[in-house]
Amino acid sequence: MSKTTLVTRGRATARAVAALLGSALLLAACSQDLGPSGSAAPPPETAAVGEATGQKPAPFDGAEPVKIAIVQNSGAGDYFQQWTNGARQQAQALGMEIQVYDAQADNARQATDMQTAIGSGVDAIIVDHGQSDTMCPLINDGLTAGLPVVIYDVEISACAPEAVETAQDDANLASLILDKMSEDIGPNQPVGYVNVLGIAPLDRRNAVWEQVRAQNAWDQKFFVGEFTNSVATDNAQLVDAALKANPGVAGIFAPYDELTKGTVSAVQQNNLQSQIKVYGVDISTADIEVMTAEGSPWVATATTDPNAIGAAVVRVTALELAEQLDSREVVFPGTLVTQDLLKQNGIQNLDQLRAKLPELNMTGVATADWIPVVSF
Amino acid sequence: MALPEVDGSGAKQTAPGPDKQAVAVARPSTGAGVREFAVRYGFIAITVGLFVFFAVSEESFRQPSTLFSMLKFASVVAVVGLGVTLTMVVGGLDLSVGSVAGMSVTISAMAMVFYAQVGGVAIAVVLLAGALVGALNALLIVVLRIPDLLATLASMFVIMGLKLVPVDGQSVSSGMVLRDGSVAPGRFTPDFLAIDRAFLGPVPLPVVIVGLLAVGTWFFLNRTRWGRLMYAVGANPEAARLAGVRVGRYRALAYVLSGVFAAIGGLILSSRIGQGDISAGNSLLLDAVAVALVGTSVLGLGRPNAWGTILGAVLIGILITGLTITGFPYYGQDIVKGIVLLLALLFSFTLSRRRSRYAPAAVI
Repeated sequence: MSKTTLVTRGRATARAVAALLGSALLLAACSQDLGPSGSAAPPPETAAVGEATGQKPAPFDGAEPVKIAIVQNSGAGDYFQQWTNGARQQAQALGMEIQVYDAQADNARQATDMQTAIGSGVDAIIVDHGQSDTMCPLINDGLTAGLPVVIYDVEISACAPEAVETAQDDANLASLILDKMSEDIGPNQPVGYVNVLGIAPLDRRNAVWEQVRAQNAWDQKFFVGEFTNSVATDNAQLVDAALKANPGVAGIFAPYDELTKGTVSAVQQNNLQSQIKVYGVDISTADIEVMTAEGSPWVATATTDPNAIGAAVVRVTALELAEQLDSREVVFPGTLVTQDLLKQNGIQNLDQLRAKLPELNMTGVATADWIPVVSF
Repeated sequence: MALPEVDGSGAKQTAPGPDKQAVAVARPSTGAGVREFAVRYGFIAITVGLFVFFAVSEESFRQPSTLFSMLKFASVVAVVGLGVTLTMVVGGLDLSVGSVAGMSVTISAMAMVFYAQVGGVAIAVVLLAGALVGALNALLIVVLRIPDLLATLASMFVIMGLKLVPVDGQSVSSGMVLRDGSVAPGRFTPDFLAIDRAFLGPVPLPVVIVGLLAVGTWFFLNRTRWGRLMYAVGANPEAARLAGVRVGRYRALAYVLSGVFAAIGGLILSSRIGQGDISAGNSLLLDAVAVALVGTSVLGLGRPNAWGTILGAVLIGILITGLTITGFPYYGQDIVKGIVLLLALLFSFTLSRRRSRYAPAAVI
């Protein structure tokens, strides 16, 4: 008898749980209706929207909003969150509807996402990162279906020449920082180099390094670097060993912020911060802290703002839709940030940095008088 | 359809069957009828309902191409899930399926890129490798008597690491530089790439492949002596053994088939990516087990079955595609996936008057 009661009570609990779950699902469905075009998460950094003076060209002059899709390889992490935020804000300013497909670093899923996007009735597609072997045939499918496709940071110029290729201007970033380095330490100096070859943007930075090094007749004492799951920690060990074997270098170039951080900590471990200057690429709030710390050897870095890049990619797409884009390739220039600038202005985070260096917003890149440019 | 042997398994569960029957009879018949209906068709109703909901609310969801890319998205999980279903039928669970699919991606890429083989050879090698892993799992489980979950957990790790050895932990792509400094001679062949990219009429080929495998699995499990005996083995291996069934053989067969199905899933993945992506298949295990579990609740069968698994995969496909199009963030999608799995389990374990015949706890 008691067993029966237990069974009945168990059922009642189960029904209550089922009802709860059901209402949770319903609630989730309701909250969907609040946001118009997939802005479920509140944007972390809201943008200031500039004034547009010109007449909107087709297809932006109609009553129907222009729809675009972003097919991302991964939207996770600070960088991509900011990138996507910038893209959303710029799209909103232009009155576009935007759909974001995030494959969560799953290449196969990005392929099906791209297919869904092509068939979903959007007016243009942005592909953000991905494997060129996987995405190329699909990018061509999109182009064949008559959709403009804008690519960010995928190597596709050979297989999909009709697509618009955009990228951060790595050569420009490297020249900016290396010009600063030659100015600071002068020619004929012993130098160190920390980089990992075989990764496209780092290879492009390497090409500039080879050139500038030859021009300055720098004596490269060591070249180390590896790409692992914890780049900063692992490279700190490599640089530490290299410094012990090669005393007396005047400057080190480490063109990726994780490599730079590893280099900085190795220099500090060896108590060489007064003799060695470190030059890096990229910046984050955590990097600003490292650069402005007492006696930090990291004297300058060259960088772009991911928010501004996401926004610029959307502007490129808008120009392509309006048939106002002449080139199939758009690159985004970098900005030089020095330790002196950070310290003199008491800058502690990216927001303060943007306020001090408005050129990070790239408001003059890929624009027209009818585009309200966003800045962060 | 129900098998007498299977019903007999009730004896080893906590609450004996007859009691439950009595409870149900004592209830007003309408309530019982509603519940019976919910258990039987609830899941199908949820799937159809979700589909209609997304189709009405999102214009882009209504495009026929969206339907097919959704099914295509579901196809890999569905194939691998069918393999998991087979191991669940014999009362086990194959945790190595995700890594076998990942291994297949690497092996097919190696065959074509390193050794310049044609697509057919790559497919044959991958299927053989899948069967081999299945056979090794069977050896561990049947001959060496290691519990299913533990044996396949171990082989999962070994395969995940092993596949990286010949490629030095790198993704295999055409034109890559090999260890000896030369450039890889081969590339992904068009016939191999067609596995994922070709169509049969309007239907993508992987969807056709999954359809055929589902029919085959259903026929095997429900219409052949072998299949029925596999259910019997899963329900009560001791009773099956006493009835003269060679239990070990059936369990071994399930694992070999599971390995082959995972390999087929890997072939579709490989063709979709067009590269020997080392991270491929990482998320497959959990999704495949989830859809097979969801499948147990379809039609109120309360046991693993081929159509249930397929429907589970389609449901997850609808959910993910629909939520993506509506702009639901990716971290929310996992929560919804989990809730759906829970609902399905409630249907098959809690609300169902028939006792569920799949109890994973009984595996260890």
